[in-house]
Amino acid sequence: MNSVYSGPGFDFANTARNSFLESRGLPLPKATSTGTTIVGCLFKDGIVLGADTRATTGPIVADKNCEKIHFIADNIRCCGAGTAADTEFSTALIASNIEMHALSTGRKPRVVTAMTMLKQMLFRYQGNIGAALVLGGVDADGPHLFTIHPHGSTDKLPYVTMGSGSLAAMAVFESGWKQNMTREEALDLVTAAVSAGIFNDLGSGSNVDACVITASHTEMLRNFVKPNERVQKERSYKFARGTTAWKKEDIRDLIITEDITVIREGEAMDIS
Amino acid sequence: MFLTRSEYDRGVNTFSPEGRLFQVEYAIEAIKLGSTTVGVSTTEGVVLGVEKRVQSPLLESSSIEKIMEIDKHLGCAMSGLIADARTMIDHARVTSQNHAFTYDERIKVESVTQAVCDLALRFGESVHDEEAMMSRPFGVALLIAGVDEKGPQLFHTDPSGTFVRYDAKAVGSGSEAAQSELQDKWHKQMTLKEANILTLRVLKQVMEEKLDHHNVQLAQVTADKGFEILDEVRLKALIDDM
Amino acid sequence: MPDGSYAHPQQRQFNPYTENGGTILAIAGADFTVIAGDTRQSEGYSIQTRYAPKVFRLTDRAVLAVNGFAADGNMFVKKVKQRLEWYRHAHAKDMPLRAIARLIQTMLYAQRFFPYYVYNILGGIEEDGSGAVYSFDPVGSYEREACRAAGAAQSLVQPFLDNQIYFKNQQLPPGQTRPLHLSLSDVLSIVIDSFTSATERHIEVGDGLEIYVVLAKGRGPQGLEAVRGAQELTTNAEGDRVFIVRRELKKD
Repeated sequence: MNSVYSGPGFDFANTARNSFLESRGLPLPKATSTGTTIVGCLFKDGIVLGADTRATTGPIVADKNCEKIHFIADNIRCCGAGTAADTEFSTALIASNIEMHALSTGRKPRVVTAMTMLKQMLFRYQGNIGAALVLGGVDADGPHLFTIHPHGSTDKLPYVTMGSGSLAAMAVFESGWKQNMTREEALDLVTAAVSAGIFNDLGSGSNVDACVITASHTEMLRNFVKPNERVQKERSYKFARGTTAWKKEDIRDLIITEDITVIREGEAMDIS
Repeated sequence: MFLTRSEYDRGVNTFSPEGRLFQVEYAIEAIKLGSTTVGVSTTEGVVLGVEKRVQSPLLESSSIEKIMEIDKHLGCAMSGLIADARTMIDHARVTSQNHAFTYDERIKVESVTQAVCDLALRFGESVHDEEAMMSRPFGVALLIAGVDEKGPQLFHTDPSGTFVRYDAKAVGSGSEAAQSELQDKWHKQMTLKEANILTLRVLKQVMEEKLDHHNVQLAQVTADKGFEILDEVRLKALIDDM
Repeated sequence: MPDGSYAHPQQRQFNPYTENGGTILAIAGADFTVIAGDTRQSEGYSIQTRYAPKVFRLTDRAVLAVNGFAADGNMFVKKVKQRLEWYRHAHAKDMPLRAIARLIQTMLYAQRFFPYYVYNILGGIEEDGSGAVYSFDPVGSYEREACRAAGAAQSLVQPFLDNQIYFKNQQLPPGQTRPLHLSLSDVLSIVIDSFTSATERHIEVGDGLEIYVVLAKGRGPQGLEAVRGAQELTTNAEGDRVFIVRRELKKD
């Protein structure tokens, strides 16, 4: 008997059934994946994060302009690559928990805290949550930049890339990154790195999103560069009225009229 | 040429010092012993005619087969060693079918003629491990008639593998007289019926026996009906019209 | 075996095929045919080259588009061209379109048990002067059609073509008429829009577009004069004529 009670966390009730169905030739539905180029880069005054905006299901572009730089806290952002639902859900969950933590401690959240919460969650699920993240922010200890892999391992580095376009982006970082860059230099480098992913990796595409985090301020640069605008179509594909065929027509009157016969006058409401 | 006979006329793959291949030349001679065969080309189609030598009253004349179909749009008449012609016509038929199979179109008359002539020189002494070759040249000449995108055409092939296109051509024992008669009578505006009658008249002139529907055979190739051997009724009617 | 011994049966496999993405399409008009393909060649998430032609002029009246496994495609086109050359020598004429179609079938079926991993679309002008498209599966089943898309974005483009060329799911509004054949300029617009749209939504389509236009003998260039950068490839101006039009596609 199935219990009507639903416990907290993931529900694994269907895993046995699904793996049986898969063995009998019914493939599982494909999850939307952010094929993705995401990057992060340390500079003089903080962190610059960058991401492309393409989401795919297999070879099909599911979203041409999705947002991959997720909010964790005012001073912390997290780029997600991998299964879209997993990255969105885990960052939202950790954002929520970080807010709770900040409220109970009365302090500005630290990047390591978010990193630790994320890695512990991902490790608990043994890689089944397909989230590959670039986490960056500035806190009391200064700027921090991490990568978090789906199995829970983390790296702390001055410049990082993740996703299917990570090699293309890293090539740009390796040739162009230097210590103590200015904000402009860092933003240019991040844009170049994400662009390398957009143009050379089929899993990445469309626009460059960027986010600059400094001690005093976080600036989200949504669609910072749009190098892939669609050209005008050669023709208009507006259909003439009457193009769609129909089987039957049924026009209903939405105004219902009814007669109400008052049988007995009720007592007036006491409003005294 | 028989006066210059020497040991160079034995091997099929040996040139004489004058640069001749005697066996091939002898094969061409062999054709001149064959019965007379005539082909006439017109804008309406091509006519083929052969003399059937009925050597004995006991011989069933309908069993003599000297005109054969290669494909719907291709026919062939022969003079010389008839058995040799079978090998060549077999090859022509396969070539034509193969072409239709591969290209979904009718092979051109010239192409099928070329294919037959490619076969004509494949004689000689086969080397060990090589595919067996023919031991001697073919002893037969063919008149290949057909209709393709270029219209009705008539080709003549000989044992040397040479082929030439003709408006009208005679081969076989009576060919010399027949050819000069064709040269006299053939003209560009000839109808198919006129061509049939010219063929019969030419054959009649060179035949020793009196021409009738037993000792002569006619065939024609037209764009509409393709290759057809004229049956006794049509043949008789033409003989009467002569 | 994990222990590295050979005590147990072992199986090794080698897969000689890869899929190199891209899309091709062809549309036949009354007296012209348009054959097009993008120029991106990819493997997995990588672009191997942004310019690898998938559409080839065979004769002045026949153009072949190949899509699937690029190595097989290139080899197949090479062999078809060789057969056309042999045919020209043997029969003293260019092979007619329907003969090329049949030849391609026999060549594909000859590899029935080790196929060319290629989808072919042949377009051009028939002997009667009409525009024609022939489409093939990898082992040689073929059919003459008015239009066909193949390759990575087939499932995106073909329904669009069915709607715009065959007017599928479009009821004729009262008082309107439908042309028997689309004009060349309409067809070119539909082809370009097919590819820009496929580029938007399919990651393996993009970089460049090559459009071949074959015009029947005696037909004027109407519909092509206004087209930017049309280049003629015809060898004999007396017969059918071939043109190429190139366009850029998005590179992301």
